Amino acid sequence: MAAPAISIPAPSSKTESYVDNKRKEDIRQANIVAARAVADAVRTSLGPKGMDKMISIANGEVIITNDGATILNKMEVLQPAAKMLVELSKSQDAAAGDGTTTVVVIAGALLKQSLSLLSAGIHPTVISDSLHKAAIKAIDVLTAMAVPVELSDRESLIKSASTSLNSKVVSQYSTLLAPLAVDAVLSVVDPAKPDLVDLRDIKIVKKLGGTVDDTEMVRGLVFDKKVSHAAGGPTRVENAKIAVIQFQISPPKTDIEQSIVVSDYTQMDRILKEERNYILGMIKRIRATGCNVLLIQKSILRDAVTDLSLHYLAKAKILVVKDVERDDIEFITKTLNCLPIANIEHFRAEKLGYADLVEEASVGEGKIVKITGIKDMGRTTNVLVRGSNQLVIDEAERSLHDALCVVRCLVNKRFFIAGGGAPEIELARQLGAWAKVLHGMGGYCVRSFAEALEVIPYTLAENAGLNPIAIVTELRNKHAQGEINAGINVRKGQITNILEENVVQPLLVSTSAITQATECVRMILKIDDIVTVR
Amino acid sequence: MAIERIFKDEASEEKGERARMASFVGAMAIADLVKTTLGPKGMDKILQSTGRGREVTVTNDGATILKSLHIDNAAAKVLVDISKVQDDEVGDGTTSVVVLAGELLREAEKLVAAKIHPMTIISGYRMAAECARHALLQKVVDNKEDAETFRSDLTKIAMTTLSSKILCQDKDHFAKLAVDAVMRLKGSTNLESIQIIKKPGGSLKDSFLDDGFILDKKIGIGQPKRIENANILVANTAMDTDKVKIYGARVRVDSMSKVAEIEGAEKEKMREKVQKIISHGINCFVNRQLIYNFPEELFADAGILAIEHADFDGIERLALVTGGEIASTFDNPETVKLGHCKLIEEIMIGEDKLIRFSGVQMGEACTIVLRGASHHVLDEAERSLHDALCVLSQTVNDSRVLFGGGWPEMIMAKEVDELARKTPGKKSHAIEAFSRALLAIPTIIADNAGLDSAELVAQLRAEHHKEGCNAGIDVISGSVGDMAELGISEAFKVKQAVLLSATEAAEMILRVDEIITCAPRQRENRM
Repeated sequence: MAAPAISIPAPSSKTESYVDNKRKEDIRQANIVAARAVADAVRTSLGPKGMDKMISIANGEVIITNDGATILNKMEVLQPAAKMLVELSKSQDAAAGDGTTTVVVIAGALLKQSLSLLSAGIHPTVISDSLHKAAIKAIDVLTAMAVPVELSDRESLIKSASTSLNSKVVSQYSTLLAPLAVDAVLSVVDPAKPDLVDLRDIKIVKKLGGTVDDTEMVRGLVFDKKVSHAAGGPTRVENAKIAVIQFQISPPKTDIEQSIVVSDYTQMDRILKEERNYILGMIKRIRATGCNVLLIQKSILRDAVTDLSLHYLAKAKILVVKDVERDDIEFITKTLNCLPIANIEHFRAEKLGYADLVEEASVGEGKIVKITGIKDMGRTTNVLVRGSNQLVIDEAERSLHDALCVVRCLVNKRFFIAGGGAPEIELARQLGAWAKVLHGMGGYCVRSFAEALEVIPYTLAENAGLNPIAIVTELRNKHAQGEINAGINVRKGQITNILEENVVQPLLVSTSAITQATECVRMILKIDDIVTVR
Repeated sequence: MAIERIFKDEASEEKGERARMASFVGAMAIADLVKTTLGPKGMDKILQSTGRGREVTVTNDGATILKSLHIDNAAAKVLVDISKVQDDEVGDGTTSVVVLAGELLREAEKLVAAKIHPMTIISGYRMAAECARHALLQKVVDNKEDAETFRSDLTKIAMTTLSSKILCQDKDHFAKLAVDAVMRLKGSTNLESIQIIKKPGGSLKDSFLDDGFILDKKIGIGQPKRIENANILVANTAMDTDKVKIYGARVRVDSMSKVAEIEGAEKEKMREKVQKIISHGINCFVNRQLIYNFPEELFADAGILAIEHADFDGIERLALVTGGEIASTFDNPETVKLGHCKLIEEIMIGEDKLIRFSGVQMGEACTIVLRGASHHVLDEAERSLHDALCVLSQTVNDSRVLFGGGWPEMIMAKEVDELARKTPGKKSHAIEAFSRALLAIPTIIADNAGLDSAELVAQLRAEHHKEGCNAGIDVISGSVGDMAELGISEAFKVKQAVLLSATEAAEMILRVDEIITCAPRQRENRM
């Protein structure tokens, strides 16, 4: 391949005045246009009346979702600047978990304004700097608007979780899912470290069948597994003593290759007997500790259980769940407050976990194993998500994840602000006022950004089928009169005090959306060339 | 009779004027490519990879851009090389060096066109470079004695370096981070012990310096999550199974119980190994390879924190900072050097859990955790921070400091100009050209900021005719400003390296009068 970099002949630099050459202008324009195209693609999914997207992946699978991060993730964009917007929504997902569409829409609007500023001849770095200043100011405004919340105030937490859920496919179930999300997060908050929530402590188990209504939080442990009862073993055990084992109850296997040489008939008999004795010996040891539930880790090297061992285990009235993934072991042991056992020699009573009830329950067509009434349960929670088809379940899981993230944000930073476009309009108003006191071109830029933020209420109204211009104008009017919590009430199709309507969102989601969007836009603005490299 | 052809098929030869033109044009094209990234208002480039995945990098770092280019021009390669060398030597000024070399060649081109022999130009350039270096040497400030001023010098340098990068908005924050990190090194230039961890999420402002070592791994199940006064054994050993590693070795038995015995023996071996490890008197064991369930449980029983599958880089650093050695046999506990640290605990950054070793033996070690909106931002932030760290660690050793913002170039240009006036003969044209090339740097900085460069540079030159002037370009307000007041400083070492290697590179390219391209090696056609 010829070197593209060198193919441009060097222009002799006699010109001493500033000329941004045409090529650079073009590249900047191309970047902005591409990035905006991405933003436009997700715009219609914003808000409670936003629409969903159906994505068919290359392998023929279909996803229906309203989650910005998921949509963008599945879109295969190639243009570098467009890719950056995809990354942006991913990182909002990591930082706040919600607002993944909002952040992209804001970035798109900012880019649109930047484009007109650029064509007015303002230097990109000036735009970028004023953008940064505006973002800092915006955070101040948002923080001033925020209302503190206590973790004990369950009502408020539920409100913000349901705001997040209202824009999803599962919005009609928000009365069920929102309290569930709040309870789930609150139950894993460690009093010693009140600011930290690890969402991995909340396990979401999906099971087809039923409706989303049947989704429940299980105080205990749920496996999407069947009890192995080939030989008629128990499926329900009360006062269970549970062992999590990482060895296998099957004939021995060495790491060195081995073969048993059978030379005559009697030997064969003996080997069969030995196998039986070996397994029986193991089970006796297990039985001796009083254990009556076994969770066996999956092994790729050898069978976790054989028919023979299942038979003996059934006789010993031990309930067996096999093929537990290694990744889940930590979660399970934490929940059951027990230790994993890697060798039969170490099988001791103190390593067991205790629970009131272990039972196999049929859910829809499948079966699950539930462990409830765990003694000294760790700070973990299980959520069993149900749905009539796989698409609904997947979307329900994503929505629930968003709701969990929202609650987590509130735990991390205990403030919330009004939703429904109220903060954005207020930002636009205050930044607009602030722009007037700024000097130089910065003021001009800040004013455009203030206008750009109005895209959120505008889009909300548009998606809800309202007249966006009328709504945004009225909103501005209300805010100018000092009603800082006035927002769009999509259900009633008018402007109301949105705090009273219980539409609230965590402060962290809004602030992180603003900072991340500006950071990304600034990066795109500063680019003046795309170089193809190895 | 003329010889028809000396070279092989497809080999080509360019001579004299043509060869020189080819190398001039190539070198200048490269310089023009990175020119726009210079200065605090320089722009970034997207590097789009043509390989698989079509990865995208956004960068402002000259060395990174040049490193990844496809280049087919010999002279251009020379420039790429000097930027690489600059990157290795001092870490910063990678763009400046290429731009200066490009400008020198641009001037040389004009001189060659005016029928001045390249050798004359070269000797003129040499004299000019020497003179410029002297001018700089006279103006340097050295504050090594005064710790307080020295620290503020370092902060200023860091701020100046960072101001042209993505981190410029939070440069106060990052300059402090970088200075703190480098001060911990106590004069060593080994940047290995400064670990940079990137975690997406949050904003750049949330980045922080942690005085310890952070390992991106999980603690085994059922093991203590917090250890004080830890003795750490860093190892690279198989903890899955101690196999007999002879190919084809197999065991023949005639009964099941014997298989069980062998299995038991294998387990026993592992237990012995674990026992040996435990007998080192440790309470933390870090292994590069996997630790299987069985040994993991043994460790848990002994109350030892075991970390499996730490990556190679991770354990080497860990061994370095905790003062331990990587062990692979455990028969002689007395000869194995253990690492120590005050506290091991699990911390959470963003959504991930990591393990922090604080109060490590090597006090120099620290970790900088970068947070940012996306991978692009983080990668670029890492490169920028790395530049700042390099420059700072160099400055700690060679603490001579200059002002920035085009000030050193103006000083040099002034001296070189005077030299030109004193020098008789054709050389003086070359020396004058050198000074013009030096002036190009402030011109480009001003151009990139969208300022009227001709006006500014003229003003600067007038200012510099006064004695003891600190004037440079204040890009933020778009005027000539006092660099001492604005706190814009650069390391002498960087400037010197830029000056000398740019001159050398230009000289080398000037000397060329023939380019021979060898015939490409034939690829076998496997169609």
